[in-house]
Amino acid sequence: MDARGQDAAEPFITAAKQRHPSLIDQQMLVAELYDARNVPAAFWIDETGRMLRANDPIYAQRRNRETGEVSLNREYLDAVRDWVANGEASAYVLDLERIKSRMPALEFEDVLAAAHFHLGTFLALHGHASDALVQFKSAHALRPENWTYKRQAWSLGDIERDYGTTFQEALKDPASGPFYPPLDLG
Amino acid sequence: MNGATVLYQGRETEVGPAGIEGDELWLAKRELAASSGWELKPEGVCKDETCVPVPEARRSALIRDANSDSLLNLTEFARMIEQPFAHDENNAVWYFGPPAWEWKDRLASRQAPDFSLPDLSGQIHTLSELRGNKVFLLFWASW
Repeated sequence: MDARGQDAAEPFITAAKQRHPSLIDQQMLVAELYDARNVPAAFWIDETGRMLRANDPIYAQRRNRETGEVSLNREYLDAVRDWVANGEASAYVLDLERIKSRMPALEFEDVLAAAHFHLGTFLALHGHASDALVQFKSAHALRPENWTYKRQAWSLGDIERDYGTTFQEALKDPASGPFYPPLDLG
Repeated sequence: MNGATVLYQGRETEVGPAGIEGDELWLAKRELAASSGWELKPEGVCKDETCVPVPEARRSALIRDANSDSLLNLTEFARMIEQPFAHDENNAVWYFGPPAWEWKDRLASRQAPDFSLPDLSGQIHTLSELRGNKVFLLFWASW
């Protein structure tokens, strides 16, 4: 998902040389459909199209920007392997109630926040930066816990100039909730 | 005065300035259909198989007759069907999201919502075409 679409995604896809399909969600509609409020967000879907896990905030592999050290999230990778081996019987498969708690029912404020976000994106991509800001700020005020709306908006402008904050400060904003909720494999 | 841009559930249309009244957007038959797909019919405001009846009490806020044409207040109609919208006055752009029946009751079952998206080469991939395989769906972004 990326408002800049292919231009933003292509360098990463080319560099990664993935063997799986990498799809481009420029309108961020699938992200909305799945309630991906930050990235990364991972979902398990079985052979019949049923969702077995939702919205895991997971890096399988992560590189420390300062040290260059690469660490694997073995706990999560083992969970994926367990699902591959055991399917629906895997202990990591979530019941419907828990999946719903990770993709809560939408309120009007959610879809209104989305409308402001999408209008903001349209304005930003058409060169109306200050008008875009008004819309982005409305979206952020309605749904402060949606990091996707913030991070995409920041990337289209300048977080310090436009929003009077820094990424590190924004992480601490109590209204936003956790950037990555703790991984809950239970 | 320039016209307005209507972004309606993935559709982008330019309409004339005549129906702009502050936050409200009134559209005559042709522009209404072109921008939103809705049509005024005796049974209500209709698109494909869906018809939304117009309650008498709301009629004057929704529909206006002018020069043998009828205009619909698209923003008031959005309020009626609990459809979110956002408006940028400076550039006269309206964005309309989904109506209530599309966004309420999400995930009533375990069924993963279906979708189709292109890859870099433009080839479209559809989730439901992957039946018989396990699918690991991961969202990421450049930011």
